[in-house]
Amino acid sequence: MDFTIRAATLEDCKDISRMILELAEYEKVLDQVKITQRDLEQDGFSKNPFFHGIIAEVPEHHKSGEGHTKVGYSLYFYSYSSFKGRAVYMEDLYVMPEFRGKGIGKALMSKVSQLGLAAGCTQMNFTVLDWNKSSLDFYLKQGCWDVTSDLGYHCMRCEGDALEQLAQGDL
Amino acid sequence: MKFNICAAKPEDCKDIARMIMELAVYEKMPDQVKISYKELEKDGFGPNPFYQCLVAEVPEEHKSKDGHTKVGYALFFYTYSTWKGRTVYMEDLYVMPEYRGKGMGKALMATVAKVAKEQHCVRLQFSVLDWNKPSLDFYLSKGAEDLTAKEGWHFLRFHGIALDNLAQEAP
Repeated sequence: MDFTIRAATLEDCKDISRMILELAEYEKVLDQVKITQRDLEQDGFSKNPFFHGIIAEVPEHHKSGEGHTKVGYSLYFYSYSSFKGRAVYMEDLYVMPEFRGKGIGKALMSKVSQLGLAAGCTQMNFTVLDWNKSSLDFYLKQGCWDVTSDLGYHCMRCEGDALEQLAQGDL
Repeated sequence: MKFNICAAKPEDCKDIARMIMELAVYEKMPDQVKISYKELEKDGFGPNPFYQCLVAEVPEEHKSKDGHTKVGYALFFYTYSTWKGRTVYMEDLYVMPEYRGKGMGKALMATVAKVAKEQHCVRLQFSVLDWNKPSLDFYLSKGAEDLTAKEGWHFLRFHGIALDNLAQEAP
């Protein structure tokens, strides 16, 4: 299936907000989501954004059952390691269920790693809920290693050769 | 003992780099430090800094046996939760051993919390090595929650009333 990966714009916040809720529901924590579309607009698209976003979009003829063409996103921000320097943190990676298995998740993740490397980062970090085995398997397959090894959240990192390779796998 | 907490300046980066290495030795990973004061200068003081930093300084008459008056630091940056919004991540909190027990660690952390509140952040997050019992006890006594419950790194968070209380203790 054809899809494009591009930087999120202000107009995308409505769809990002929708997909954040879908992801929260998947993670079984829907009642925890307190921010709104407006918060995303203010926090992501002002002078000093708190985050950056990328969107996966499909052509009109592949739109979802409910008519959506924006079918995945990744939300990330730059962080810092006092040992290693610039790093990027991938806060969310999400693809709508009916669009999985088509390389969209990997493309989003690759794009983040590419943007991170371009900005001089040497690490890409993120966390996974330990029961989320399908996501965990997906990430480990990309060459990440599990920094925190027990129940609850795992902090994951792509670095060195694995990061280079991930960035080179971008579309 | 009198001390000041203030925002780091570019000329503080040599002292910050020195203290980062001291912290790395304390955490038993000195070989992991790959950046120098030059990266700190570049990454912390441009138009889009990757981090913020506070420094604890004592008067000349209290300088360390090696002649240092900059005796502690806290390095942090803004992050984002797609559930809760703006957050702060405290990457490092360090006070030189001979200056501990005088309230500097607490003052540094409280100032980070204060800055976080001013920026409308709803969480202060950080991590601790699980064998680092004095630090863990210190954080738990300030109302932090241990989110990752086992060996290796622990993720901790301040929020709600505990965060407000901590911010109110800022000097």
